[in-house]
Amino acid sequence: MIGATKAVAVLGAGTMGSGIATVATRAGHRTLLYDLTDDQVERGLATVRAFLDKSVKLGRLSAEQGTAASAAISGTTDLKDLSGCDVVIEAVYEDLAVKKALFGELDEIVSETALFQTNTSTLSVTAIASGSRHPERVVGTHYCNPAPLMKLVEVADGPYTADWAHSATEEYLRSVGKTVVVTKDRPGFIVNRFLIPWENSCIRALEAGLGTKESIDAAVTGALGHPMGPFRLLDIVGLDIHQQVATRLYEQLREPRFFPPPMVERMVAAGDLGRKTGRGFYTYDDTRLFGS
Amino acid sequence: MLEFEKVAVLGFGTMGAGIAQLAAQSGCQVTVLETDQARVEAGSSALGAFLDEGVRRGKVTAERRAETLARTRGTTAIEDLADAELVIEAVTERRDVKRALLAQVAGVVGGEAVIVTNTSALAVSDLATAVPRPERFAGLHFFNPAPLMKVIEVVRAVRTEPALLDRLAEFARALGKEPVLVKDRPGFLINRLLMPYLNDVIQGYDDELATAEDIDTALKLGLGYKQGPLELLDMIGLDVHEHATRSAYDATLDPAFAPPPLLQAMVAAGILGNKSGAGFRSKENAQ
Repeated sequence: MIGATKAVAVLGAGTMGSGIATVATRAGHRTLLYDLTDDQVERGLATVRAFLDKSVKLGRLSAEQGTAASAAISGTTDLKDLSGCDVVIEAVYEDLAVKKALFGELDEIVSETALFQTNTSTLSVTAIASGSRHPERVVGTHYCNPAPLMKLVEVADGPYTADWAHSATEEYLRSVGKTVVVTKDRPGFIVNRFLIPWENSCIRALEAGLGTKESIDAAVTGALGHPMGPFRLLDIVGLDIHQQVATRLYEQLREPRFFPPPMVERMVAAGDLGRKTGRGFYTYDDTRLFGS
Repeated sequence: MLEFEKVAVLGFGTMGAGIAQLAAQSGCQVTVLETDQARVEAGSSALGAFLDEGVRRGKVTAERRAETLARTRGTTAIEDLADAELVIEAVTERRDVKRALLAQVAGVVGGEAVIVTNTSALAVSDLATAVPRPERFAGLHFFNPAPLMKVIEVVRAVRTEPALLDRLAEFARALGKEPVLVKDRPGFLINRLLMPYLNDVIQGYDDELATAEDIDTALKLGLGYKQGPLELLDMIGLDVHEHATRSAYDATLDPAFAPPPLLQAMVAAGILGNKSGAGFRSKENAQ
């Protein structure tokens, strides 16, 4: 672990929230996982501990580190328990009003020097920061899924973000072993900004009969060295998630290449969402993702 | 058994040398045509150097290296291509140059010979009209470096006979590659997908979304790509990309292919990527 132990709170115990909490507690930070109900919190904590156990089994963590990380995390459904936190990382549902309200409420609970990070992928950091009376402490930190395994975090300041908040964020992310890239508060940051039109153009090529899903996947992996082709990737991401992200980017950028092609809408309507439903572009017997 | 045993390659540049090596190490007798002896020697030594590197890395045995070199010969005499069963054209991406050479070569090789072009930016169906039997003409699009890349696009021109596509696919498999059958549309399949993505990244960089290094890092770590898009552009050559995407734009008027202003400016300034010592990721980058 690099630097001092911090008190970290993660808001939202879903996939991203529990992943981000895993990252924090694994690095030795005292970590509090918050969600609305005990049930959600318990499920989130179970996800964190299951990941840590698996890391110990795989030899990525020592038994001692695993035990310490499991012990350093706890859960709550009461925002007031966040009063002593140095870093608050918001990873709740992608709803602007909810995110803004949470930061507003936290203004009354945490100290003025507590850092607010938002893990939004498609909303504006600037808009979310406006929910706090101290937008200077709000920084966008976009993790990739699965957060405990993916090294990358995209960091985006809003117009009011203070230098100290930005540096503290980079320092925090390095303390948890992440690689930081600095970008701007623009729709999709870097990865989704370029991935969504790419995926859409692959889908349009399929619609246009320029290849089959198999031939396009084979061509992309073989000629470009991508770890998987666009249709395998879409099946893992989920067609519904792709549709949501693409639609949100389109709504902000108004450029047709961001808009999900008709094939996506049809597949979502049919319930063919990818691996998680057993059928997307391909069919699957095993609907588990990432060993969950 | 190889679908084509006697192969002629037109052009001993980067692509020509790579294609010649690939065919020769798969067992073909390869004759490479160039315009003068200096270019023949430059191509031969590039091929030799690539094989040396393969030996050094333990990917190629010394014996295989020797066999490959023995099966490859360079020439400046077009008559030396007379017995070729397959001609692979890999000269500069200029329509007039390719058409003139294809017509000439078609007059030398036998009537049963198959002629293909490795063009990435020109219409195969148009080049096909330069030879007397366009039904025996197709695109065979290799990726750089040809010996290493796993895919070959087999391009069906408007008048290509379907049986030829099967033979070319079989040949690609004999070279150890996966054939992907594609239509004769600008960029075929891979470049059609790749060019708008690269243009998009160049524009994002010009719009100061992030530094060139951070853009590459984000896409490598976020998506598991081996190479970031700006590193890739430096490797491809900014002029090569500019020419290809401009050709696709001219053919489609699709703004996704329009060369971004920054790309045009860098090419005009002679900032072409690795080969010129300056590009998106180079320290000498003027931008």
